[in-house]
Amino acid sequence: MSSLRPQAQRSPLTLLRVWIGFQPNQGLRTVITYLLMGVLAVSTVGPFIIMLSVSLTQNIRFLLFPIDLIPNPITLENFQLLFARTLALRWTYNSFYVAAVSTLGGVFTSTMAGYAFARGDFIGRNVLFYMFVGILIMPETALIIPQYIMLSDLGLVNSYTALIGPWFASIFGTFLMRQQFLSIPRDYDDAALIDGANIFDTWLRVLMPQLVPAMVTLGILRFMGNWNSFLYPLIVTTKAEMRTLPVGLGTVARSGGDAGLDMAGAVLGFVPTFVVFLLGQRYIIQGVSLSGLKG
Amino acid sequence: MSSATLPPVAQRRALTKRILKSLPWYPFIVLNLVVFVVFNLWPWLSMFQTATFKTDLLSHREFVGLDNFVKMAGDELLHLALKNTFLFALLYVPPLVVVSLLVAILVNQKLRGMKFFRSVYFLPNVTNIAVLALVFRRFLSPRDDAPFNYLLGLVGIPAQRFLLDIHQALASIAGLGVWQSFGFFMVIWLAALQAIPQPLYDAGRVDGAYGWRLHRHVTIPLLRPTAAFVVVITTIGALQEFGAIFILTGGGPVNATTTAVYHIYSQAFNFTRFGYASALSILLFLIILIIAYVQNRYLKFDEEVY
Repeated sequence: MSSLRPQAQRSPLTLLRVWIGFQPNQGLRTVITYLLMGVLAVSTVGPFIIMLSVSLTQNIRFLLFPIDLIPNPITLENFQLLFARTLALRWTYNSFYVAAVSTLGGVFTSTMAGYAFARGDFIGRNVLFYMFVGILIMPETALIIPQYIMLSDLGLVNSYTALIGPWFASIFGTFLMRQQFLSIPRDYDDAALIDGANIFDTWLRVLMPQLVPAMVTLGILRFMGNWNSFLYPLIVTTKAEMRTLPVGLGTVARSGGDAGLDMAGAVLGFVPTFVVFLLGQRYIIQGVSLSGLKG
Repeated sequence: MSSATLPPVAQRRALTKRILKSLPWYPFIVLNLVVFVVFNLWPWLSMFQTATFKTDLLSHREFVGLDNFVKMAGDELLHLALKNTFLFALLYVPPLVVVSLLVAILVNQKLRGMKFFRSVYFLPNVTNIAVLALVFRRFLSPRDDAPFNYLLGLVGIPAQRFLLDIHQALASIAGLGVWQSFGFFMVIWLAALQAIPQPLYDAGRVDGAYGWRLHRHVTIPLLRPTAAFVVVITTIGALQEFGAIFILTGGGPVNATTTAVYHIYSQAFNFTRFGYASALSILLFLIILIIAYVQNRYLKFDEEVY
């Protein structure tokens, strides 16, 4: 009953009760909301700001508090050391190359197969469809060992083929694109067929131009997923020069260098996905909420 | 179907027609098919074969039947790894589900700057685990003046050893996981929250519900399918945790963070027991399958609530 009393004391407990809604007080509620979100935002972004700051600090062996967020002097020494002592440049190239080919390949094959599953009437369609669903529910970590054994039998360990291979097609992408093709009325296909187009022309010139936003969404999710993958590239590469950036940085982290060097590596691994996120966050968040699945 | 009642010649003609109609579609799926056969189906089938061998992939290859599975019963490190895996799931899934939902409710209010906050919370999720490990290895250092211990010191808590303490290492990694992923599941919760029809809230307000009570009686019952989805996905993720453990603790201290996947990795690549690692992979697959199935059944994934 006391919850209905309008004027109560402003003790912390009262504030909590106001916020969770036993007492209507929209103004106070807004203030508390912003406070909570601010604290959460600082704890989310803080580590990245400290990372950047330490990476620009001279001679920093340990990360100890309190620190100067703006280093004096600002130096790129740690980055020079990183490139001199490790293969970070090569790893960055590997990651970009693998992610680019994987993304383009994955979007391309998904768009093709999605079209076939949405519009095609061919023998074996349902069997293949359920096979794909079956593969989708397989936990990928359970496949790591047999994948390594196969690649080792084929002599493909430490090759770009191994790094890109499984990413060159995407079941998630195939299902996503299938949904997208299904959302386009069949009238477009029929009109194109009457005009003499074959199914290939229909796919490329009539339907695909309408699906560019979906392809961008899928592409960004695939790029992020590939760039951030860790276990698979770890096991299919044993030579330092074939590592992707995250795997290479993992070895840097395990080797226990100084804090400045570690953070320079972290910044290098952070920036590419951060830039893609800034440019494509609308697509990413849309893609996540549409699908509820990681690319 | 209907062609079964036709005379043989017409039947053959119908089949030919169907094949001719099918052919143009195969080029569209052939690349997909090749990738899945080579990188999924083949390894998947060969796993069952390899699991019956004792092999280092180099010189030694010996058929041992089901020995690899029998060996599991006496592998104490495996038992510890399974215990750690379930413990990790308990430390990771409930906080992640609750925190991401609370944050989603928080940012779902119609206030200024919400888009900005959502993006900020999503940031750790698009950052790869090696970067996070490089940063948090420093934050979690046992020194008194390392970031986390310094902050604990400000509120009078003595310095902790985090990743070096056998009782704290797994929880530290779970905490990092929650911090990394809550933004992702916040977006999923948000999509579900925004799909709830507004009139239901209006009706709730008319009935005198407000704030938390409104959520208790309107939001939460309608979120059950999403809750089921989030619980299943986060559990499957937790059972497969690897990157942070590999980089930050290497399964230690004293095997306190050796999880199932780490054990499989270690058996294969530190001890070259590829046959046994294959058998363990089958075990992992079955465990994940069973848990996901039970959760699906129990949480009634697909049930309509409207």
